[in-house]
Amino acid sequence: MHLACLYGVYIFSLDESRRANTSIGPFASFHPLFRWCWVPKLAAATAVGFFSSGFSLLLFPQPADHFQLEATGEAKGFLNIGMEFSSKDIQMAGLHSEQSAREALPAFLIQVPSQTIAGFDCVGGDANVSLNEADNESGTTTGNQDIVISIPAPASAPRSALPGRAYDDAHIPYSISLSMPASPSGLHLSQFRTSAVQRDEARVTPAVAEFDVHPVEEQVEVHSPRLLKQTRFHSQPILLHGSKNVDEARRCDSTRDKRFDPFKTFSGRLERQLSNLRGRPQEPIDAVSPESKISEEETDQVPGADRYFDALEGPELDTLRATEVPVLPKDDKWPFLLRFPISAFGMCLGVSSQAILWKTLASAPPTAFLHVSLVVNHVLWYVALALMVLVSSIYLLKVVFYFEAVRREFYHPIRANFFFAPWIACLFLVLGAPRQETEMHHGVWYALMAPIFCLELKIYGQWMSGGQRRLSKVANPSNHLSIVGNFVVALLGAKMGLREGPIFFFAVGLAHYMVLFVTLYQRLPTNVTLPKELHPVFFLFVAAPSVASMAWAKINGHFDTGARIAYFIALFLYMSLAVRINFFRGFRFSLAWWAYTFPMTGASIATITYATEVNNVLTRTLSIGLSGIATVTVAGLLVTTVFHAFVLRDLFPNDVSIAITRRKPKFSKILAHFRSSSSDMKELVFSLSKPSQSESGETDPSVICARAEP
Amino acid sequence: MGLEASSSPSSLKPYAADDTCPMGTGGATKPEARFAILTRFHAGYFRISLALSGQALLWRTLSDSSTDPRPLARSLPSAAFLLLWSLALLALLALCALYAARCLLRFPAVRAEFRHHVAMNYLFAPWISWLLLLQSTPFLRPDAPLYHLLWWAFSLPILVLDVKIYGQWFTRGRKFLSMVANPASHITIIGNLVTARAAAKMGWHEAAVAIFSVGAAHYLVLFVTLYQRFLGSDSLPAMLRPVFFLFFAAPSMASLAWDAISSSFDTGCKMLFFLSLFLFASLVSRPTLFKRAMRRFSVAWWAYSFPLTVLALAAAEYAREVREAAANVLMLALAVLSVAVTLALMVFTALRTGDLLPHDDPFDCPLLAPPLVR
Repeated sequence: MHLACLYGVYIFSLDESRRANTSIGPFASFHPLFRWCWVPKLAAATAVGFFSSGFSLLLFPQPADHFQLEATGEAKGFLNIGMEFSSKDIQMAGLHSEQSAREALPAFLIQVPSQTIAGFDCVGGDANVSLNEADNESGTTTGNQDIVISIPAPASAPRSALPGRAYDDAHIPYSISLSMPASPSGLHLSQFRTSAVQRDEARVTPAVAEFDVHPVEEQVEVHSPRLLKQTRFHSQPILLHGSKNVDEARRCDSTRDKRFDPFKTFSGRLERQLSNLRGRPQEPIDAVSPESKISEEETDQVPGADRYFDALEGPELDTLRATEVPVLPKDDKWPFLLRFPISAFGMCLGVSSQAILWKTLASAPPTAFLHVSLVVNHVLWYVALALMVLVSSIYLLKVVFYFEAVRREFYHPIRANFFFAPWIACLFLVLGAPRQETEMHHGVWYALMAPIFCLELKIYGQWMSGGQRRLSKVANPSNHLSIVGNFVVALLGAKMGLREGPIFFFAVGLAHYMVLFVTLYQRLPTNVTLPKELHPVFFLFVAAPSVASMAWAKINGHFDTGARIAYFIALFLYMSLAVRINFFRGFRFSLAWWAYTFPMTGASIATITYATEVNNVLTRTLSIGLSGIATVTVAGLLVTTVFHAFVLRDLFPNDVSIAITRRKPKFSKILAHFRSSSSDMKELVFSLSKPSQSESGETDPSVICARAEP
Repeated sequence: MGLEASSSPSSLKPYAADDTCPMGTGGATKPEARFAILTRFHAGYFRISLALSGQALLWRTLSDSSTDPRPLARSLPSAAFLLLWSLALLALLALCALYAARCLLRFPAVRAEFRHHVAMNYLFAPWISWLLLLQSTPFLRPDAPLYHLLWWAFSLPILVLDVKIYGQWFTRGRKFLSMVANPASHITIIGNLVTARAAAKMGWHEAAVAIFSVGAAHYLVLFVTLYQRFLGSDSLPAMLRPVFFLFFAAPSMASLAWDAISSSFDTGCKMLFFLSLFLFASLVSRPTLFKRAMRRFSVAWWAYSFPLTVLALAAAEYAREVREAAANVLMLALAVLSVAVTLALMVFTALRTGDLLPHDDPFDCPLLAPPLVR
């Protein structure tokens, strides 16, 4: 729920909604498929309206007379209805196993027809229970993440033919409960409207507390024009009378894909936590399947750093060890957002640094003889900008809908560094902008500096204060990403004409760069993640000194000895990497590689800066050569990315590194996993062969000892 | 008290408490009871004198109107400074007397202290306090012969200890830096830097640069080692977490020293000052680190004061150089913070005198590992 707070997400005081007669308008006439996300604590907060399909509207019988959907923000809060992001849910619904024929339909469209109406009542456990004490006995087995929408049905509704009901109807005489997945509320709204028209005489039965059985005329009121807009979808579910499909409805409920719920921001868990916070202890009778219980436990807390090292392998800690069982299904393709890693911002880094390079090539004196047009810079810059907008909006969606996944990425020892990437990319965009830096407003610098500073406080503090994420444990070349931000900030600030701020960041960056440099060179036995062989990630070594040299040159006004020292260190590291590069040696391509191109670009820009100071044939050759290498690398990477994206279609594989369990899985669980997995034989063989491999070369026994749980 | 011994494997620490604290056994005889205060007293109490003399230097710097005629300088009453200076002097004299008595009567304990990886660093503290007091003294000018004499008297022990301890760091088997490094080791560096600053104030440029470079080199090594946080260097008990503040005292002191050497607050000084500012922010933003230490008052709390004072000193020099409103505000805020912290600590010390010499000082017990003379 704090996640919700974090993102200004909305906030509906349930207390108020219960006491006041706030609820859904013509709710009796159709199934309101909204899910309502409310955060009592923040009810008063002036949060921003946030549209999302994940919001759910919780309806429950009320002792009230009128139920109105307060679609416009009133004192009670806002109902936010969003239609924008429906694709994700559709995709998720598409993940449903059996109903492949219906995959194109949004989830609720699949479910709804089966819910034949009238007095039917497939009550899902959780949210409903937490809200309506009267529903205590509902023992059906909808998943814990279901949001249940219970609607008082017309008093005259036939409550027929549900022989297998496990609960007592007397308690909730006229309530209809639907449990629905997160699905586009816009679609719901359309239903809302169509059915509202037809059934404006719906009656409400206040069911809950007082068991007041007097039906109340319900007033159909739709406040928001938005609600009326979407009438394209003709889902008629609730209007169907008859009980023949009830069983199917239940089946649908249970087949809703709950496997990804632990990672969702808006799932039933949230609402139940909220009701707990409000002092209403939820009933323990949630009918939760054992697996989902386990997964919930596991996602309650982020795995410790040790777990990341234990469960994952590979230079980027992105491969699951054979002895591990992921939280999420391994065989299926996950929702796109879950597969979208933070390292995608590496692309922005690569392209925007290219924009800077071409800007420098076009404007710097030593390369003036090339007559590079500024158009290249402009094109690259706009491409970088578009890419940045695209990637960050997608990632923002992930933050909103799968905050748990983002949290796990943030605690991933390597991915954590990539959280600097978006800000560095923004800085690059500013640096590469077609305008002069000196003309820009200083506020830009302060705005971009602040997040980097906060992240540094967090990350460097973790290094210093010990604990699981001490530097001697997590040191990895990708930590350079968290260092280089300092120098980029210093460079931009110095170019803008600031004085003290750049020195601050340069000092902080230099101190921590020295620490990191020494630590990485030492290759401590406690550093598990350092790749044994050369990996593209090592190119990050070049990044910090080259950017630092430029930053120092800008701070001091000319390319002085300090800047040269940094530049020559960068050049040496570049050369020592270049002579031992072995192309195409069996590394699995990953998006993160993009992040490793910007050091090359940075080195070439630094070379051009150096050539401006020392202008001779050698430096000019060097600058052109390095620029060429950087450009070719980026182009090659672009081709590879396109190839993976459109030919192999594996640009975004399942991101297992966020799906590790919090504790080491028991052996029986591993076995069960293999048994249950579709390709069990192959997997099993694979898993049997894998440990021997990893024992032979990959893992260091002393390291394992050191990592033993206290 | 076995806090330290139980919280980390004893093999990792050079001198873990193998046997129980003699004070807890109750077998204290009469003469021991008489000198019980000596048994429980240790070099860690020099944190008090360190804090007070740091404050004295801060007030001296702030009220130093010779270079900077600011309204703040004139608003500080000189009587208050004198009072503070004499208080610091008195405290230092008292502590030194106590420690000298301890050296005489409890020599094994002192020897054990010298071998302890945390306590050893505090042997620098009295000399640092003396040097700070010397720099802030209102009675002597830096070019007076007595000043030179006193400088020699106070800096020689520091240099001797330097040779001993830095040598240990890379030669002695059990005292590798990776084993003994802990935030308190910063005090050794600070000793160097304070000496260098005093020398630079006297006009001995070469000596100052020499001492500064030794300090800087070892500071680099120590900083990297501490940031890496090997298992061995994790042996600071939770009670002593306030010592973490020394993390930002060292760069501040370095910037002060370099300021005195190069006689202008140049970019290097600024970088050091900004580094310590960042480290300060980084430490302050994780209060959980200090939660366990804050449960009960102990002398370790005094470790908060000195780093803050040094940071405020560096901020004062920075503000003098930059002359911007933001710098002045920063300087004022840090100065007020350090004064407030020191005042609060003095009040706490006055109120909780009983807690000042606890029977279960986690820092104290390992020092007494060798049996006492009966």
